[in-house]
Amino acid sequence: MKKFTTKQISVTGITLLVLLLFPLVITQTYIIHVMILVFMFGMLGVAWNIMGGYAGMFSFGQAAFFGIGAYTSSFLVVTFHVNPWIGLIAGGVVAAVMAAAIGYPCSNLRGHYFAIATIAFGEIVRIFFNNWKLVNAAEGITLPMVNESFTNFMFHSSKLPYYYIILSFLLIALVICYFVAHSKMGYYFRAIKESHDVARALGVNVVWYRLIAIMISAFLSAMAGTFYAQYILYIDPESVMLLAISIQLVLISMLGGAGTVMGPVIGAAILIPIAEFTRIWLGHKGTGVDMLIYGFLITLISVYQPQGIWGLFANIGKKKNG
Amino acid sequence: MGKNLWWRMGLCLFLLFTFSFSAQAQQKIIKIGAVYPLTGNIASTGLDCKRGVDLAVDIINGKYDLDLPLAKSEGLPNLGGAKLQIVYADTKGDPKNGMSEAERLIAQEEVVAMIGAYQSSVTKTASQATERLKIPYVCSDSSSPTLTERGYKYFFRVSPHDAIFAHDQLVFLKDLEKSKGKKVQTVALLYENTEFGSNAGKYLKKYAEEFGYKVVADVSYSANATDVTSEVGTLIKSKPDVLMHASYITDAILFTKTFKEMGFAPKGILTMAGYIEPGYLPAVKADGNNIIIRSTFALDLAKKKPLVAKVNELFKKKYGIDMSENAARSFMAPFVLADAINRAKTTESEAVIKALLETDIAGKQVIYPWKGIKFDPQSHQNVYAQGTLVQIQNQDYVTIWPFASAAKDVVWPFPSWKGRK
Repeated sequence: MKKFTTKQISVTGITLLVLLLFPLVITQTYIIHVMILVFMFGMLGVAWNIMGGYAGMFSFGQAAFFGIGAYTSSFLVVTFHVNPWIGLIAGGVVAAVMAAAIGYPCSNLRGHYFAIATIAFGEIVRIFFNNWKLVNAAEGITLPMVNESFTNFMFHSSKLPYYYIILSFLLIALVICYFVAHSKMGYYFRAIKESHDVARALGVNVVWYRLIAIMISAFLSAMAGTFYAQYILYIDPESVMLLAISIQLVLISMLGGAGTVMGPVIGAAILIPIAEFTRIWLGHKGTGVDMLIYGFLITLISVYQPQGIWGLFANIGKKKNG
Repeated sequence: MGKNLWWRMGLCLFLLFTFSFSAQAQQKIIKIGAVYPLTGNIASTGLDCKRGVDLAVDIINGKYDLDLPLAKSEGLPNLGGAKLQIVYADTKGDPKNGMSEAERLIAQEEVVAMIGAYQSSVTKTASQATERLKIPYVCSDSSSPTLTERGYKYFFRVSPHDAIFAHDQLVFLKDLEKSKGKKVQTVALLYENTEFGSNAGKYLKKYAEEFGYKVVADVSYSANATDVTSEVGTLIKSKPDVLMHASYITDAILFTKTFKEMGFAPKGILTMAGYIEPGYLPAVKADGNNIIIRSTFALDLAKKKPLVAKVNELFKKKYGIDMSENAARSFMAPFVLADAINRAKTTESEAVIKALLETDIAGKQVIYPWKGIKFDPQSHQNVYAQGTLVQIQNQDYVTIWPFASAAKDVVWPFPSWKGRK
């Protein structure tokens, strides 16, 4: 594992300090809300990246893991009054087990075929939840409002606790991603991404390492799902399991830079505010111009920076050093 | 140079003036937040709701000779003629936007109350935000029963919900037997499987059994199905007297066509939602005849309620089209809020909530065939909210129930498809 340079450490430290102080300086609720969404989608992007960016398994079914996380903790809270923090872990475990169960039979699917399988998986899960009476089917689950406290994972008077919780979740995801990327496992993942056959010839257990990548990804996505449920307090299959969410995650990771640790976070930091602010700015006029602008910006980025925005940052850094 | 400086100073002074003026004017404005799906796949419905709200605000702020709350005075007389201003926000139909937009409107735009959302799932999260921030929310366009089952302190609903609609349909069947001597024994239930349909189906089943009707079929389906012959086959086999159908619009059109193709004609077809959307009749034309639909509003209510005609006239003048059911539902919320704020003499939340609980708007002051508006002290649901039933006759929606408000007599039983064009 390589050593960090002083420059890297100081940049990371300053960024972190800025993010920690940010909500104390900028107190407008909707800006904090946008930041929370950036962190949440950033985390989901990082989770996607472990599986899609590093191990080369393009998943269009991440919303299923996100939804399973949200549903597991909410169901446990509403039905058995289980603490949402325990639900958080339970959701992660359920999602990881589901991921393994679906990942194993798909272990020989590559490229496009794997992507198609994940779309099918995501849609099956959504339709299943839409009709599953035990979890209120299409009606969804409303989380009861309880006293605000860290233990209850619920805060009414301020968004700050949500902000710091999701920021720390994102950091956990980034640390996991960093270690995965720079460990032996990360090299196995990349070998698998390049070619199954070559990886197998080199002695990499392809099926096993693919499963590990999917499970880590599912676990992290489910954590974000529990956070979403505790933050919005209402979930239904149409808001947490939509194919559109899965596609948005791919978009975020690809635009930010797939296969880089920070790429998805940069992607989220650019796309989410664009979507939110164009809606706030123009959406109420009911003309749909906000969506046009959103689409135009995405096109612009994909044309001029196809390797992702992170590539741009990395290049600048290299040039300065060089 | 010197000239330039003068120009700048003049401009500064001018700006200062205008700002101080607008600041003075702002004291007389009461801001209300409204969240609707204004872009995205149900934007047309959201914009329809917005038209209703905008007309209501015109009437409250201006002077109109109408028997609606605060119509005859300009603005809110108890607050020095203060005017309402609606600040709209787009939800795109996403619950998370419902929450964030409600929060933004309250924090940034300083709205004192909220209305809207249309989709029940979005109303849920938007009203959670208002409950957290202790701001009144008056909803007159979402129909999920769960909204008023949460025991929220700051949430009020003017319009009837799906359980009331379901109940009304069975009361109608009883009325039919009592006053027209037409007996019904068995019913079949058909509903799409998202929140709206499955909830409606749940309540239809509950009330059908309570009222002593036998449920001979209970069929749910996905609203984006492209073929429903097997569903209709099941219905035909169960031979019901009456079919009760909760649908959206595309499935309503598909089912109507399949009913005709397969010759399914029970004594009555009672439906919800999809069959009354503006796009339904143009798609099915005469095949829609004789179908009965639940509604809160129909233009022919004007026959017994001249207020409806007057309001529709204003609506037509402003937008060039007739008032739809959605516009008519959203129309009422601003009146209820303005009336409460006017009585409270302040926009302070707790006082407005108290005034809302004391709301007592007479039946003649609403554009629906209700006894008025009065909120249940526990659930905050309007206790007088009631649905009406309209029937498509000669490709037009006519009110047929409650019989007292009926514009025309109901066609019963449903004629067989043979011999129809």
